[in-house]
Amino acid sequence: MDPSQLLKGVLDLAVLAVLRDADGYGYDVLRRLRAAGLEDVADASVYGTLRRLFAAGALTSYVQPSEEGPHRKYYGLNKTGLELLAQSTKTWNHFADTMSGLLLEEAAA
Amino acid sequence: VNSTLTGPVATYLAQVKAELSDLPPGELADVLEDVTGHLSEVAAEFEAEPTAAALQDRLGTPSQYADELRTAAGYPPRTKAAKPERTGAEAALTWGVIASIVGPLFLIIALANGDAEAAFFGVIGLIFLAGAAFMGVRALQGRDPRIVLDTHRGQRLSENIRGLIDQIPPNVRHELVTIGQPVWWVARGIVGGGAIFAVSGASAVTVVGALAGAIVSVWIGRRTQEDRRWLWYVVPLNVVATIIVPLWLAYSFVGGSAGPFSNYRSTPSSTNYYSQNGLALDGTSISNVYPFDEQGRQVKVRLYDQDGKPISLPLQNCAVSTGTIGGNDSVSNVYPQAVVRTDEPTQTDADGNDITPCTETDKAPFVPPPAPATPTTGPPPGSSTTPQPTPTPTAKPSVPVASSKPTPTPPATTGKPGVTLTITPTR
Repeated sequence: MDPSQLLKGVLDLAVLAVLRDADGYGYDVLRRLRAAGLEDVADASVYGTLRRLFAAGALTSYVQPSEEGPHRKYYGLNKTGLELLAQSTKTWNHFADTMSGLLLEEAAA
Repeated sequence: VNSTLTGPVATYLAQVKAELSDLPPGELADVLEDVTGHLSEVAAEFEAEPTAAALQDRLGTPSQYADELRTAAGYPPRTKAAKPERTGAEAALTWGVIASIVGPLFLIIALANGDAEAAFFGVIGLIFLAGAAFMGVRALQGRDPRIVLDTHRGQRLSENIRGLIDQIPPNVRHELVTIGQPVWWVARGIVGGGAIFAVSGASAVTVVGALAGAIVSVWIGRRTQEDRRWLWYVVPLNVVATIIVPLWLAYSFVGGSAGPFSNYRSTPSSTNYYSQNGLALDGTSISNVYPFDEQGRQVKVRLYDQDGKPISLPLQNCAVSTGTIGGNDSVSNVYPQAVVRTDEPTQTDADGNDITPCTETDKAPFVPPPAPATPTTGPPPGSSTTPQPTPTPTAKPSVPVASSKPTPTPPATTGKPGVTLTITPTR
């Protein structure tokens, strides 16, 4: 099974989760996802996800100057984003439990 | 925003941008801001500036990158077909060709004439060049400039140029690029900068202008290697420089010093003849010769050098000044030559003729030293009592000449084009 296929469905949740701890700019989000173990995440899809969540009103965005290089655009969770994260977490947990249960039953049978 | 990116990274960004060109402008600007940040971070992962191939290894092709972004962001599939890209490339190429032909045409007319009227042409040429180049770059719409090579005409053009390049041996080609290119950058900068500031007339300013031009030219050359869009401006300017640089070199070679010519014609007696550029004696140009015989009478003579070649000067009479005859053929070795009268224009001449709009005279405008006999043609009135320091028409030539021995005369140092005439007294 290709992990990158699975990732596509839960990338929103992963990005929201990473931003729950602290605001971050695109490359920073990417790095945190990789550090958390999601090595297969594609660079461009993370940036695309950020844009979509922003367009959906779940993220705030602001520009901050950086010591090295150009200004960076930071993204952070707003109220909608936090609600979305809570809801998505619930959905994911339910889904994961269901899948785990299914797999356990299969193994027990 | 993308000004911080250079080289292949900037090209990559431009290609991603082209792939996303169907997005609403606001969203496009926002997402490109992110992509720019991403690409600069990725570029920083490399020790040196990454090549296009290295970038593709890391991120996929620009179109794959754009597709990933599009899918994840939930943008609608690309709507615009490849067609507008082609017409854009076509337009970019057309504007480039216009900039390279029409602009230089006006500029060269201006530079060849060099008067105030021509400056007008120069301004028109510059406006045309810059305008057409700007339109050409705009037609690219941020896409890779190489797309013009995909068009029909672009393909033919590049094939022709490649055919020409293939005729140059590979090692010479290498030398041309490594040595010829910087030399060319400096040369065109010196001529360009020098030409602009030469208008001011001060040579020191011209030198500074030439130096500044060389620096700017090298900078532009390096910029163009990084961002090929500069080609739309650089190619037309190169066309101008390709024509002006050899002309300028030729001019400074021929006009700046008489050396090559005077030496070429040098003979043992060092008497030189070059009708177009006149005569010179010890660096001072001679516009006419007034021979007097031993009695101080003005005489008419024909002058020849030791090889029997006529020592001629351009005619300066009324026919020349009114344009009745003209050109370099109107020379004569009969002296004194008639010149247009500039003194006492209201007087009638010696024969009592009425004045005409143009009168000429071959009378010496000076008084020869006292002589026993009255000059036949007669000096100006009241002149015989005031001797002046002029050549004495006696047996001993008092013309300040070099030795009677043949001596090679150095080129004129006054900067005036001409040939040195050293009169050798042979009687």
